Amino acid sequence: MRSHLRRLAILLLVALPGLWGCAVATGFLPSAVQPAASIAATGATKAAQASREISDSEEYYVGRAVAARILSTYPLYRNPAVTEYVNEVGQTVARKSPRPNTYKGYHFAVLDSDEINAFACPGGTIFITRGLLATCASEDELAAVLAHEVTHVVDKDGINSISKARWTEVWTSMGAEAARQYGGVAGNLVNLFEGSIDDVFKALVVNGYSRSAEYAADAGSVKISTAAGYDPGALARVLAKIQAKEKPGAGGFYKTHPPANERLAKVKGAAPGVAPPAAEVTRTQRFQKIVKT
Amino acid sequence: MKRPIFFRRPGPWFLALALLALLLLPGIAMAETMKVTQPNQSLYPDPDFAGTPVVPVPVGAEVTVLQQSGDWYQVEYQGQSGWLNRQAFPAPAAGSKFNLPGLLTGAPVKETSSDEVALAGKGFTPEVESSYKQKHPEAKYAEVDQVEAQQVAAAKLQAFITEGGLKP
Repeated sequence: MRSHLRRLAILLLVALPGLWGCAVATGFLPSAVQPAASIAATGATKAAQASREISDSEEYYVGRAVAARILSTYPLYRNPAVTEYVNEVGQTVARKSPRPNTYKGYHFAVLDSDEINAFACPGGTIFITRGLLATCASEDELAAVLAHEVTHVVDKDGINSISKARWTEVWTSMGAEAARQYGGVAGNLVNLFEGSIDDVFKALVVNGYSRSAEYAADAGSVKISTAAGYDPGALARVLAKIQAKEKPGAGGFYKTHPPANERLAKVKGAAPGVAPPAAEVTRTQRFQKIVKT
Repeated sequence: MKRPIFFRRPGPWFLALALLALLLLPGIAMAETMKVTQPNQSLYPDPDFAGTPVVPVPVGAEVTVLQQSGDWYQVEYQGQSGWLNRQAFPAPAAGSKFNLPGLLTGAPVKETSSDEVALAGKGFTPEVESSYKQKHPEAKYAEVDQVEAQQVAAAKLQAFITEGGLKP
């Protein structure tokens, strides 16, 4: 018995360099035990696959399709100076968010519509309408709006609106997928992709996210704005303007978001207004110069 | 005279030490070369996305990994040292052959793109998007590409942040 153990130990020591080589070939061993989901994701069974979450690249392709659909409804506002400026403000807040780097990064664009609205597509493409841009009176208010949308991307609110049943079907259908071809690609998967786009589009444009998701995005906006150096009270100011413009029975943004007065009450509690610092004046001036001219 | 217990039965102790060495040795890993397979990656001065990127690292670039800290790898690329997030490397492919570190950590393993079964196993891919585009010619993908082409250079963003008195 003892000699068996000794032999086994010697064998392990001899095999150690080989096993180590295998370990460093593709990565490093963990400093802590990984969660079960992560282990399942690397397993070989379809059952394990079903337990994995959508990957960043899959989120990106869903986001692209949602953006393509939004752009078939709202035309792009083609003003290079404004687009560049909105991207600069957007990137300034995105880099201070809890998810600063998505699969292909954040991109911001303006939609040529008087409607007051903004959309965060999964993966990081964010739209703001010309109407909402015009409602903002300063860069800090624009930053607050964009930080709210960035938080929807951080929290994956868009991708989480894909129905659980559909998502389960995506994973359970994959085993038999190769047998059913459609245009060179697994056909059922294309249908499931299509359905997923419908789910996200409906949440973004028609029904809106849950109230709790919107309040969380407001709270996230205040945090990001603070981290980026913007006035955390700016969100409350822009919400007050949005509230003032609300008409009875208004659709769009007013239908997909909780009442501005309720949001305002929560946000004011989180970020009481402060006197604008000198730098805010500089920011407002550049905002006025680019957006309001 | 009786020997101490661990001298009397050296086998189990030897085995335990060998197992301990197996677990600890990779922690003191030697330099390793890895290939960047994901787009939109940059080297950062610290393991934190909030810093100013040192240099972009394109797809296909080979980096020498010096150490790992959480989701970040300290690497050398083109003579510069910096931190690269683990998302620079591919996600593990489901159904890949047995791989010890992959099984433990979900570490990057190479994906197969030619195999149709593997393709279906990957979920939503460019191929799925391509078929969706054919079914939906009204979807404005060309405009999405334009939106995605909009970039803010790191230096320009820094100047914008500085001018606005914002936090670096």
